[in-house]
Formats: sequence, structure tokens, C-alpha cells
Amino acid sequence: MLDAGLCRNVLISYGHNALSSDSLLAMLMDFAGDDAVFGHFGATGGYALAARRAMHEFNTGPQTWKHIAVGQRAWANLNPHAVMHGMPMSFDDYLSSKYVVEPLRLPDNCLVNDGGRAVIVTTLERAQDLKHRPAVILGLGQHNPSVQVTQSGTLAGSTGARKACETALSMAGITRDDVDACEIYDCFTYTVEVTLQDYGFFGPGEGESWFSEGTIGPGGRMPVNTSGGQLSEAYYMGLTPLSEAAMQIMGRCGDRQLGPATNTAEPNIVLVSDNGGILQAHSCCVLGRI
Amino acid sequence: MAYKKPLPRINGDNREFWEGCRNHELKFQKCASCGHVRFPPSLVCPRCLCRDVEWIASAGAGKVYTYAVYHAVYHEGFREDAPYVVAVVELQEGPRLLTNIVGCSPDEVSCEMPVSVVWEDVTPDISLPLFRPSV
Repeated sequence: MLDAGLCRNVLISYGHNALSSDSLLAMLMDFAGDDAVFGHFGATGGYALAARRAMHEFNTGPQTWKHIAVGQRAWANLNPHAVMHGMPMSFDDYLSSKYVVEPLRLPDNCLVNDGGRAVIVTTLERAQDLKHRPAVILGLGQHNPSVQVTQSGTLAGSTGARKACETALSMAGITRDDVDACEIYDCFTYTVEVTLQDYGFFGPGEGESWFSEGTIGPGGRMPVNTSGGQLSEAYYMGLTPLSEAAMQIMGRCGDRQLGPATNTAEPNIVLVSDNGGILQAHSCCVLGRI
Repeated sequence: MAYKKPLPRINGDNREFWEGCRNHELKFQKCASCGHVRFPPSLVCPRCLCRDVEWIASAGAGKVYTYAVYHAVYHEGFREDAPYVVAVVELQEGPRLLTNIVGCSPDEVSCEMPVSVVWEDVTPDISLPLFRPSV
């Protein structure tokens, strides 16, 4: 639309009073349909079914997910806008927290919060003289297996992430080795694991080893969800990861800025994901500096 | 005492399934063309788009494909059940069914565990297919 001259700027926005109203809960309860007959409600239950099947098929579980929850919380503590800022979390805190729908504990779940987020897309020409260097869309990919969770025979993956990422990297003309950081849709900790696994950062069951030693946190070799993400900053659907990737590339992230400030690589290439349903739809975007 | 949990919403697609349940029969559509046994009930076969079906009665035996243990209570009707097990059971005839595992503690449930149907008569018209570990 921008290239065709149909518009000059596109605003992508999301806002929700999810915490101070019952609208999010009502939406999720409505999704249940006749699954409610058996007490199956909301998103946590569906992802718990997927995560449990994954635990059966390869090495994963709380010992993997604790690294994701704790790593992202460390980023949130560098982000004054994060809901969980000022609330550090240890592995013991994670492992002693209560189950919501087992195997998922409370800190495996994303936040429910009020708020909003927006990004503006414009032409590269228009972006040249903006105040901040632009975050440029280098590649996009989507893949939507779209099998209902209760009918899927491939709940442990691979998910749509695999083909979506291949498409996006190919469009950008880069490989996974060129990626400096990832902003991954993290409705649950397990979603981060299975997305990075399907993106090829590690093989099935190798996540526990890959995530350990602070891989994704401040100072890590592959920073992930540097605002704290949906688990520890705030839930704005796909705009939590997308806006953080753009802000990092623009250099607007203060204490959590990738590069020398956090002893991490400069964010020249950031991989961003979005995910819909219970791992039914996947979108991948490569943002970068040019 | 009145039944406090949600009841299935009967419609033209699923009526035969729930009428089967009332008679303690687990009935599935089988495609007359390609033989695919499917759930949920639907107008056309999702594999070959054929509209002709026969209804078959399942033996009611299968295995747990995956499961989740609900500690949180999202609906008051389930408060006394928590922690309770929601599972996807893969029946020998092929279809997968969302259900509950009963007759054992949540800690005893595992993926691939053999299970058999048991019926819970919740109203005069509705019986639910639940599953317990096979003996």
C-alpha cells in the first residue's frame, strides 16, 4: 500500500483494559465452546496440552522453562515500563510457584494488564530524516498449520514457525547466524522454546542446554525478549515483540539497550515472531538496520 | 441437586453423537468414500470432501495422546474436582476426543496410557464419555 502510494503512513495499534475489565476472560471462555463440558477453558489449558505432549516426545519441562522465565525477568528489571520491574525472580522462585494448568506454572503464563502499544510503518524514503534511525522490514514469512489443538497429531511440533522463519530469512537474504537478538511471541514460556527450536537454534530436546548459562538474558549470547516480553513486561499481542525489536534497532531502549550497555551484540538484525491460536498460526519478521 | 457444569450444545451436526452417548454408545462418522473416521461430526469428510457417511460405534478403547492437570478453577462447577485431568484420547478407530481421565490420581496419568470409556449420566438426556485407565 505504501509502495503503491495508497497511503503515506500506517498505524498499527493495540490497546486493551484486560486487567480492569472482564473482557479478556470473557473472550477466552467463549472460545472454549463444548470443551467447557470437560472443564477445558482458556489458553493455558491448550498450551498445557501441547507442552505435555512435547515433554513426552523430547527433553523439555520446567528445567528448560525456568531459564526463559528467569532470563526475561532479568530484562524486565532493566525496563522501568515493565509490569514486573523491581520484582526479581530466581530459579527457586519459579520452581516453587503454583501450577495454573500443569505442567504450566504461574510464571509460565503471560501477563494480563491494561495498556497499549503502537508502531508506524512508512516508506524507507520518508524514514530517512526521522529523528531515529529506522527499523527496516527485511523479510516476512507466515505459515499456518491451523489444526485444532484437540485434533492435532503433531502437538509437539514442528509448528508453523519452521516454514515461516525459512521464508522470512530467505526474503531478507540472511541466515540464522546473522541474527543478533530475538523478540519472540511468548504467551507461555514453552512457546518461546518451541519457536526457537523450530527456528533451528537448537534441536528438539536441546533447549535446556541451549538456554542455560544465561543465553537469553542481559549479557547473553542470544538476547531474547529484551523488554521482559509478554511474560514480564506487558501483553500487547504481537506488538510486544514487534515494538521492542523496532525500539532496540532505533537505539531507544535505555538501560536495556542491546550493544555495549548490556554487553551484547549490536542489534543489526532482530528476528521477531507472532503466533495465533494454540500454535495454529505463525508469522516471522526480520527487522534490521541498513 | 442440579448439574452445575456446562452442557454440550446440541445441533444438527452433533445430535447423533450425543444421542449415541445417551445410549452409552460412542458413535463416529465414517466416510463412505475414503473410510476416514472423523470427529467432530461434520457435513463433509475433511480428507476427501465426500458427503456420504455411515455412523460406526467405537469399542471405546484408546490411549492418552496428551493431558493437562487443571489446578485453577475457571468455572464454579469444577471447584470440587480440582485438580482434575483434561485429556485428548486417541481412540483405536482413529478419532481424538477431548475428555476427562477419571478413576485414578492425576499423578498416575501419562501419555500413551491405555484407557477405556466410562459413562457419566449428568442429566436425563446427556451422558458424558469419560475415560479411566484400562484394566
